[in-house]
Amino acid sequence: MIRLSNVSQAYGEETVVEDVTLSVDPGEVVAVIGPSGVGKTTLLRILALFNRPTAGTVELDGQSVWSAGEDERLQLRRRVGTVFQEASLFDASVARNVEYGLRVRQPWENRLRDTLWSIVGSNGTPKAVKRSLDVVGLRDKLDQQARSLSGGEAQRVSFARALAYDPSYLLLDEPTSDLDPRNTDVIEEAVLEARDRGIGVVVATHDMHQAERIADRVGVLLGDGFTEIGPTETIFENPTDDRTQQFISGELVY
Amino acid sequence: MSVSLEPALLSPALVDFPFREGYVRSIIYVSLYVSGIAVALSTLFSIPVAVVMGFTDFPGKQFVKSVINTGMGFPSVVVGLLVLFIVSNQGPLGSLELIFTKEAMIISQFVLATPPITAISLAAITGVSENVRDAARALGGTRLDVALVVIKEARYGIATAILAGFGRAISEVGSVLIVGGNITSASGISQTRTLTTAIQLEARQGQYDTAMVLGAVLLALVLTVNAVVVRFGDEGSVNQ
Repeated sequence: MIRLSNVSQAYGEETVVEDVTLSVDPGEVVAVIGPSGVGKTTLLRILALFNRPTAGTVELDGQSVWSAGEDERLQLRRRVGTVFQEASLFDASVARNVEYGLRVRQPWENRLRDTLWSIVGSNGTPKAVKRSLDVVGLRDKLDQQARSLSGGEAQRVSFARALAYDPSYLLLDEPTSDLDPRNTDVIEEAVLEARDRGIGVVVATHDMHQAERIADRVGVLLGDGFTEIGPTETIFENPTDDRTQQFISGELVY
Repeated sequence: MSVSLEPALLSPALVDFPFREGYVRSIIYVSLYVSGIAVALSTLFSIPVAVVMGFTDFPGKQFVKSVINTGMGFPSVVVGLLVLFIVSNQGPLGSLELIFTKEAMIISQFVLATPPITAISLAAITGVSENVRDAARALGGTRLDVALVVIKEARYGIATAILAGFGRAISEVGSVLIVGGNITSASGISQTRTLTTAIQLEARQGQYDTAMVLGAVLLALVLTVNAVVVRFGDEGSVNQ
């Protein structure tokens, strides 16, 4: 479980995330919805153990993240996969991109051997790479250069890249905001498949329909912490908070 | 018939050469040895510096940057003069007896090649998107992994930097003349004579055709190194 307790993040004078409490269990999809600029990305960076919050605590599987040493934190961070809004693939083949997470987890002597072999010729693609490319339907692009992919394909490879090393948690920052409906479908399917494998997923999105389609729980972020967080149905059908209600019905315009 | 004309046409360049056997080969060797080692050492020094400067903010960073940029315009004779003072018998490194040796030439070319290699590498490294660094980190990379990813992403720029440094080193004449002394052994084999200092000497003696030939050799050498590096860069991108 990832658990944020009363977490705030400020940059100088400006508070971006204020007093957020959230827990994510394995095998559930939590959507964080809210308008742009409300701190969804910052919240995700806190969950990804990138940002140290200025207040509050972050726990991952029972371990307090920021009181741990750097090596320990690296091991904790390696249980989390993150897909950013931009695919940001490396300038290499699709296979090498998806393999990256596996490679950095290898001891140096293996990596060195792998590099030397790759000069001589291909040393085969790990099964995990093929499997996770299957999930996004791009196994046939294995040997293609990442820069020759379309935007939608690149985002799908970026998803496969985070899935390849079998993380316990997956964080997605607006994963489909620039994608067409077909690529969006593929990503959403893949999210549900990841959930069924027991991965805890957090999706930050401004697309309420997407949240409704894939999330088990929804948190509504409207500025100062969650105005409401609960089962998807409750949030969309029966929100108790006034501002949530206004946001869901589209009356609250930012 | 035209075949019989060719030896006559080429004879000034090929037959009347006053070069002793092994002379040209030895100056090519000295040129490549000195510039090659100087650029290799420069690269080993410059890339970590560029990575650290690209990754971190520290007070005085802008100042260090301007020093490096100024260094790109260092006149090579001035560098030669400074290195001469340092390695001369009364200088701080005098006891090493480096004056008029290849090692002294390597030192001065190192000083000349480092600023362009650092500056161009730094530009390439800072040009790598922050998102790529984040991705490497998010995928479980350590700090070293992230640095390696950035170097890999910047590899074309870094290759350009190394070429620029090599071009500066192999084509400069001022500093190697001062600290190397343009020396050949009694048997006419180059000790510290490079292609550039040999050309300078030939031209001063009015041996314009031999100077031209040596110039062509130098040009061919630079072209070959460029072609190999560019080719190497292309191969790398295909195999990855």
